Amino acid sequence: MADAGALSLWFMRAVYAGIAGGLVFVHLLPLDARPPGWAGPDLFIALTFAWAVRRPDYVPPLLVAGLALMMDLLFQRPPGLWAALTLIGTEALRRRAPALRDRTFAADWAAVAGVLVAITLGYRLVLTLLLVDQPALGLSLMQLLSTLIAYPLVALGSHLVLGVRKSAPGDLATTRRLP
Amino acid sequence: MASDRGQSEDFSGPLKRLLLGVLLLCLLGLFLVWRIDSPRVERFRAQVVDRVVPRMDWAMAPVTGAVKVLRDFQSYQRMYQQNQDLRRELQQMKAWKEAALQLEQENARLLDLNKVQLDPRLTYVTGVVMADSGSPFRQSVLINVGGRDGIMEGWAAMDGLGLVGRISGLGRSTARVILLTDTSSRIPVTVQPSGQRALLIGDNSLAPLLDFVEAPDQVRPGDRVLTSGDGGVFPAGLVVGQVFADPGGRMRLRIAADYERLEFLRVLRSFARERIDDPGDLIVPPQGPAPDITAEAGDG
Repeated sequence: MADAGALSLWFMRAVYAGIAGGLVFVHLLPLDARPPGWAGPDLFIALTFAWAVRRPDYVPPLLVAGLALMMDLLFQRPPGLWAALTLIGTEALRRRAPALRDRTFAADWAAVAGVLVAITLGYRLVLTLLLVDQPALGLSLMQLLSTLIAYPLVALGSHLVLGVRKSAPGDLATTRRLP
Repeated sequence: MASDRGQSEDFSGPLKRLLLGVLLLCLLGLFLVWRIDSPRVERFRAQVVDRVVPRMDWAMAPVTGAVKVLRDFQSYQRMYQQNQDLRRELQQMKAWKEAALQLEQENARLLDLNKVQLDPRLTYVTGVVMADSGSPFRQSVLINVGGRDGIMEGWAAMDGLGLVGRISGLGRSTARVILLTDTSSRIPVTVQPSGQRALLIGDNSLAPLLDFVEAPDQVRPGDRVLTSGDGGVFPAGLVVGQVFADPGGRMRLRIAADYERLEFLRVLRSFARERIDDPGDLIVPPQGPAPDITAEAGDG
């Protein structure tokens, strides 16, 4: 029984890493080299936060840090900073996950929004302090907003398709749900 | 089982916190190292990209191909209109072709008269675009030629029509081309026919800004823009695009290269030209009395 639980745990971690790899793949497709003029949602952040609130054990810090650092390197961002902030955000939400378990989705969304705004501001602040070139403010805000809008969809998708849902009270001991 | 789990969490709590701290320190440390010694970390990044992206290529090429087929299929719906447009363009092209042929002959005659030596080393390596930057904030593409093909940092990349960007970030089998539209792109250019020198500044829009023009009133919309070769990084005379004025009145550039479909890029081999440093010496005959003169000067 413990084996089955561990197996499903590692399976979901693998699914998480697989989705992240898929996102990298889609982002790197060389379809059009024109500057887009708009910035889509950062789905990796939305996914990580959604899972950190629902099932913190599916997103271990080492995995989040590794994937985020890989994305920093591949997407030409300053390496390490955004990954560190992602990790901090994930841990903050992980701390709050037990409190959020029996609250409504709106509270969950608000918590994620707060963390996301905080790390975006932190990112820009650090880049400004260290005099690094940073992307236009408009694009950053657009990305922030679209990530927040995409968050419910990501949460719904992982709820329906992958079965990532908050564990109900008393469910902890018997969490053996196979996806 | 539940108590078992609780216990293990109690034990591993501090350990987890320690791991978290170490992870954060590593990430922030990497960021600081990057800030302090950017080239070294950028080389590391290029190596990582060099390892990772070619492995995705087997899947990337078919997906890209499929999407392009779909897009082309959509364009079939506008076939009639496209046909008309193409016919009209063909008419214009014929006129231009005639003009070009005449100019080519004239140019050949003039070069012959002048005994001009064209630089024989301006050859190129062609690469296929593998991936783009993956982020809306950076404009670059990755091509499948790199250090092992003799590519070097700073070389110019063109498609068939005009300048696309410069090499920045070099792996063994991949190289990153920073496009003219990236915010870190600065290219010295000449505006023809007035011959004004200017700097082409990317600002994450499709039309880069033309700035630091010596006499802005001599630059008119429609002027052709070529690379000037200032600074010795780029070969001079590569076509970049055409000037136009944006609604705010600033000069921008309509890029000649077709950014919508970048598939093959030529990387121009441009070796550093010899610099002439010394101000010029007295020219003395190779043999004869020269040694005597210096000896006398030394005695006196």
